[in-house]
Amino acid sequence: MADISKEKMEQIAQMWNARGKGLITHMALEIEEVSSEGVRVRMPFNTDFCADADQTLLHGGILTALLDSVFGLANFVAIEGVSTMATLDLRVDYLRAARSRADVIVSAHCFRKTRHIAFNSGCVWFDGHDDAEVARGTASFALTRGDVSLFDAMTKGKTS
Amino acid sequence: MIDLQTVNANVSRVPFFRFLNFEVQSLDSFHAVTEMTFDTRHIGNPIMEHYHGGIIASFMEATAAIAVRPEFTETPAKPINLTVDYLRPGVKDPLFASANVTRKGRRIASVSVTSWQTDQAKPVAEGLYHFLLL
Repeated sequence: MADISKEKMEQIAQMWNARGKGLITHMALEIEEVSSEGVRVRMPFNTDFCADADQTLLHGGILTALLDSVFGLANFVAIEGVSTMATLDLRVDYLRAARSRADVIVSAHCFRKTRHIAFNSGCVWFDGHDDAEVARGTASFALTRGDVSLFDAMTKGKTS
Repeated sequence: MIDLQTVNANVSRVPFFRFLNFEVQSLDSFHAVTEMTFDTRHIGNPIMEHYHGGIIASFMEATAAIAVRPEFTETPAKPINLTVDYLRPGVKDPLFASANVTRKGRRIASVSVTSWQTDQAKPVAEGLYHFLLL
């Protein structure tokens, strides 16, 4: 995997921590691996995201939200000079029922970037069960290029 | 046909539906309309305080599932896949969704969903959801 600079790694950590509120904070995501080739993120089990009263089955929607979030991170890592990013469309296949209380692992990468658009794909499985994918997703994002980095925009709110 | 009060009581029993915090406003065969109340935990962009795209997709999925099977507590329809087009940012106000079951066969249902905020003619997102009915 291609290495990324220590500076960028610190920016990513800062960006993640600076959020302070919202869904990504609530999901308590932990970055496990990050490079321009792709990212891997862990989401701890959370009963808020369950579809059943027994709280052993994750609702598909949270996996969709997880993929969308991690695609954003993968783009931030893979593309330089992006000031804003908006999801254009998202497709998710639910491959099997998400019945487990294990942590969720998601791996995502940007497989094509142009001046205006980024294309992503990713997959989701439960920790220790990488032979049994739970969901797979693809998405495209509209990018706005600019001097203000996504990190600055996120933390200082300089652009929309 | 199941009544609204019962459906909303069932909605409040699903942990993830409580997290989304929505209510079913109307329901008839093959059609459901819901309203979700904004909460900071729904935020995707913390600067602009827009809804997270995944929350919008989840809310639309929940609405689609209820339209397919209003008595979802017994045997909920199994989601197969979804496609969502994001058309406008969702600002920090209530979000509405309207789900229409375009085809319900013996095994598969296809549902189209639109979500909007102040004007239904200006959708925030549109989606297509497939369910397995077993």
